[in-house]
Amino acid sequence: MRTNIKIWQFIVGICAIIFLVRVVEIYNSIELFLKFLKLLFFVDTSATIDHLNFMLIDNFISAIFIISLPVFIYFKRKRIKLIQEKLNITSAVILVLIAFFIFAPIISETNPDFEKNLNMTKLLPPLSEVKVLSLVKEENAQQDELWQFLKLKDEVIKNSFDESIIFVDSVKSGSEVTYYQKGIATQIDSAKVKYVGNKPLVHKEIFLLGTDELGRDIFSRLIYGARISLFVGFASVIITMILGLSLGFFAGFSGGFIDSALSRFTDMLLAFPVIFLIVLILALFGNSLISVIIVLGFSGWMSLFKIVRGEVISMKEKEYFISAKMIGLSNYRLLVKEVMPVIAASIVVNLVFQYGNVILAEAALSFLGLGTGSNYPSWGQMIEAGQNYLTSAWWMIFFPGIILFITLFAANDLGKKINSYYNPRIQSW
Amino acid sequence: MHKEHYMKNETLKVLLKRVVSSLIVLFLLITFIFILLRISPGDPTDKFISPKLSPHLLAHVRDSFNLNSTIWDQYESFVVNLCKGDFGISYNYRMPVFTVVLEYLRFTLIFSIISFAIQIGFGFLLAIISVQKINGTVDRIFSRLSLVIYAVPSFVIGVFLIYLFSVSLKILPSSGLSSFDSADYSFLQSFFDYAKHMVLPLMTLSLGGIAVFYKYLRDNLEETYNKPFVLNFRANGVDERTILLKHIIPNAIGPLIAVAGVELGLLFGGALITEVIFALPGMGRLTINAILSRDYPLVVGCTFVSGVLVILSNLAADLLKAKIDKRLVKRILN
Repeated sequence: MRTNIKIWQFIVGICAIIFLVRVVEIYNSIELFLKFLKLLFFVDTSATIDHLNFMLIDNFISAIFIISLPVFIYFKRKRIKLIQEKLNITSAVILVLIAFFIFAPIISETNPDFEKNLNMTKLLPPLSEVKVLSLVKEENAQQDELWQFLKLKDEVIKNSFDESIIFVDSVKSGSEVTYYQKGIATQIDSAKVKYVGNKPLVHKEIFLLGTDELGRDIFSRLIYGARISLFVGFASVIITMILGLSLGFFAGFSGGFIDSALSRFTDMLLAFPVIFLIVLILALFGNSLISVIIVLGFSGWMSLFKIVRGEVISMKEKEYFISAKMIGLSNYRLLVKEVMPVIAASIVVNLVFQYGNVILAEAALSFLGLGTGSNYPSWGQMIEAGQNYLTSAWWMIFFPGIILFITLFAANDLGKKINSYYNPRIQSW
Repeated sequence: MHKEHYMKNETLKVLLKRVVSSLIVLFLLITFIFILLRISPGDPTDKFISPKLSPHLLAHVRDSFNLNSTIWDQYESFVVNLCKGDFGISYNYRMPVFTVVLEYLRFTLIFSIISFAIQIGFGFLLAIISVQKINGTVDRIFSRLSLVIYAVPSFVIGVFLIYLFSVSLKILPSSGLSSFDSADYSFLQSFFDYAKHMVLPLMTLSLGGIAVFYKYLRDNLEETYNKPFVLNFRANGVDERTILLKHIIPNAIGPLIAVAGVELGLLFGGALITEVIFALPGMGRLTINAILSRDYPLVVGCTFVSGVLVILSNLAADLLKAKIDKRLVKRILN
């Protein structure tokens, strides 16, 4: 399916939508960034650096990107040919996923691990609303610039806990504030509650895609899960590429014993269902984000190896290759200058398919409980958790399942498109 | 006559070469796994030992698992036992590994052969139907559908099927092999009981395979239809049915057989995800449980059995291919 929208228009559109919906957060983030720079360079460098962490940098980057990216794309649109193409479903899906990847802290309203008042928030269906009672935060007496920065940081960075809000069914105010949670009344000192006029401040929070069994917001878990999936896929595909290219070149170029030994080794790995090997290594040596990336990267190089090796062997006889060797190019330059341009197309196709495979494998591993661990939300893990609540909470499985399927579909389709672009004789549907 | 004999000899030679190299590969694989198991952190005796156990008994337990000697000694005795056909005793089941594996293998063999037949049968049927009118409505719908189904992970399919048939419609059971009161059933009843339990797992396992086979065969059929010899047949007035059955299918089926061999091997290895979702007693779950509980002999035994089955199914595919296309024998030999 084709539309008349160009890719650059779509990118600018996504950024504009995110910008409009989250304009307050973006404004706060930018302000935080400016304050941070001011503190860093003019006030107290070491104390500021102490407060620097991954989430802060993440927030800065996404806030800067969401403003600069559309501007950059708009002014450079005539120079970059790729973004002049017409948009289709595959590229739209990929662009949205990349937007999730970069802008996760801005798109998601809550931390993916945020849990509070379990009895109020667990297993809520999509689009359900919960009332939130806000409490007064304890104020520090000393109010210098660093304190102001930290206060703003608390507002911008979403933490996995928040003492200053309570999810409630209803609130009654008198001399003491009484709030009800599933019929249980609790009383709280009215000095602790934020007031608007003479009523306690109560606002509504919407869970767009519902919550899971621990009251965590599924929407933000999906977005952060996209990060994990894309990151794991990208990192392990790079490992695969390095391994497949160098081993394939090495085997094809040197021939003889090394070639046959490496080929036998590849056959050995291909003779056995690789998933068992992956599970074996992860179960024995422990599973974490890094080990999953490494194991998946090391388990996928076989097909690339075969492609590269075959090409190099047939290339060794060609005149241009022999003459390049005679001139005295080093092995590395031979690989980069002579081999790579010829096989670039098939490598790219292979790696795109491999990317889909890795994302699938990561989800399957998480499903088996051997994934990236519970520190990071992942789609497979969400599906696995949702299995137990199939009768009561279909949304726990439905949304991650759909997004996983769409991602895999887009990856397969992209591979096919690139393939038919480079080999026009192959029919594509 | 002489030539026939020559061909047969050649085939035998190729076969022997394949078997020997496959066995070497299998042996290397098992060694690889053996070493991996021994150098990994963690101790399989941990869960059989309580803190109250005396040091003497503790050493005895480790001794009974043959874990006290050096890796090289362990490997030596392992290889010697392997040559005798003895895989050792499973730590968890307290039975010879072979007995345990055979019990689970029976289910996996039946299950995967049925699934394989479904995959090939439906894939073939749908491809033939859709190739009747290339780029027609049916062809387009099937092609799109196969792409979609191919992209859905099997665990999503499985969970979705459970939701649809077990939770919403309540017509099919969601897990296990038979009902809890199946002991009282008559033969026919228990047969239907098994069948009922197998519907969802078979669908989960087979849908992806059907999509793959369909796509592969359909593309091959289309490619063959576009070849000049088909036009020649048509010009000579051979009817479409004969062209399809006698000339198109035999020509298009070659690459499919290789894919089928690989697929059958993978199925024999155990349909891990499907078995986990539906709690079925197959090789996949046995292997995973053995790995997770560090049951070293059982892991090696499972690997060996699935490795043998993978090699056998690939070999069978190659033989079948060589039988259809005699030129291939020479190509393998060279």
